Amino acid sequence: MEKKILIAVLLVALPAFAADSQWILNQNTLTYHVSHPLHQSEGMSHAAKGKGVCHEGQCQFLIAVPVKSFDSGDSNRDLHMLQVTRGAEFPLVTVRTRLPESAATSSTVNADLEIQFAGQTAQYKQIPFKLETHGGEIHITGTIPATLSDFKIDPPSLLTIPVKNEMPVRVDMTWHSQ
Amino acid sequence: MLRNTCRGWRRGVLGLAFSVCLSSALALSAAAQTVDTGVLTGTVTDASGAVVANVTVTATSIDTGQTRSVTTGADGSFRFDAPRGGYRLKFEAAGFTTSEVASVTVEGTAPSVVDKKLEANDQVNGKPPAQQENLPNAPSPSSNTAPSLADLGLTPEQTQGNAREQALLDKRTHMLKIHQRVGLITTIPLVATVILGPGAGGKSEGTATRDLHVALGALTGDLYGITAYYAIRAPRIKGTQKRGPIRFHEAMAWIHGPGMILTPILGAMAFSQKNNGEKVHGLAAAHGPVAIVTAGAFGAALLSVSVKF
Repeated sequence: MEKKILIAVLLVALPAFAADSQWILNQNTLTYHVSHPLHQSEGMSHAAKGKGVCHEGQCQFLIAVPVKSFDSGDSNRDLHMLQVTRGAEFPLVTVRTRLPESAATSSTVNADLEIQFAGQTAQYKQIPFKLETHGGEIHITGTIPATLSDFKIDPPSLLTIPVKNEMPVRVDMTWHSQ
Repeated sequence: MLRNTCRGWRRGVLGLAFSVCLSSALALSAAAQTVDTGVLTGTVTDASGAVVANVTVTATSIDTGQTRSVTTGADGSFRFDAPRGGYRLKFEAAGFTTSEVASVTVEGTAPSVVDKKLEANDQVNGKPPAQQENLPNAPSPSSNTAPSLADLGLTPEQTQGNAREQALLDKRTHMLKIHQRVGLITTIPLVATVILGPGAGGKSEGTATRDLHVALGALTGDLYGITAYYAIRAPRIKGTQKRGPIRFHEAMAWIHGPGMILTPILGAMAFSQKNNGEKVHGLAAAHGPVAIVTAGAFGAALLSVSVKF
């Protein structure tokens, strides 16, 4: 009798544990874009790591990418960007967001992001992202409208003309559930 | 006659400018009437969750830079009816730390809600602002279920800051900025020296052009030395693999560097021969060609990195 009760309790309890799930970041490309009246440039990183933990219908995500991992194809520019963004002192860009678990079934999602970069924190509200689901994987794309001033970064200059304040970051990520 | 022409021309320009302004204003007005609007709303609370009245909320359009301000009511709420687009929000209130939301998107479909919690301004008690407490890259303390940096498998080298390396980067940038500026200045006497070259040698019997050529050449050499010093002494950052135009820039230094040493030596020989009433001959005859190759390599090096920042 006691064994039956124990099995019944376990059967009831298991779905509650099973409701918790995790998302792991797989392939990813983050691309920043800076523009100058004389020149446009992009820096790309594939080195982001990320994890999402879902509990009671809410998922909390953390993504971190080393500042040094951004490559613009020009080591001189990359070192300059590393210097102005204080990338040696604050080596990671972290992004935190919280989304409902049900968002995984949508084709778009508006996310509130908290980004720490260059020793500063900035919040971005209702940033739209596109979602494509393939089996147990979700492909997310979107653009974060970051600016240099959000993180108190002095704009690098060429021939005494500074780059524009806008530094949009394109996001292309594939997450898989565990 | 000339004055009348100028007046007429000025009147024409003013008329054209007025027409452009008027048509732009009309176009903008027409565009404004067709832009969809949305609602941006929210509630401001303090750390305890109590609503805060009389908070000045300023919305700045990211697209146009236009700003609008409202004040929260007794229930802590605020509302903007604003054209669709991206906005930056600033929250200011006495006794609270000024806070910003870097970007919020207003859409025509549903109100955009931004609820903001303000931190009390405790700086008088020596407590740092909340933003600094949360740095650098600390895991969010908001929830036990939130993933942390440790969960991501990052190594300590990847997560810990390196103040020494940052100082090296700062020094490197500072020195390379000087290198770039002095290098640009160097081009002025360099070009002038090359231009005066044919007049200083050849069939010219006068010494004025030759003396000026020598003086400008000496100035070029001095400035070049300063330029080179700041490039050579700029700190190297370990683990950096050189990619892109900097490789060409540095390769050119192997041409203009020796050229900048050889050119004045050959020039001195030519100068001596010329002063002795001889025709420039032997190795000294290479002064001009070597100078031109040196100047070309210097110019190419400069251009290769001047279109980058």
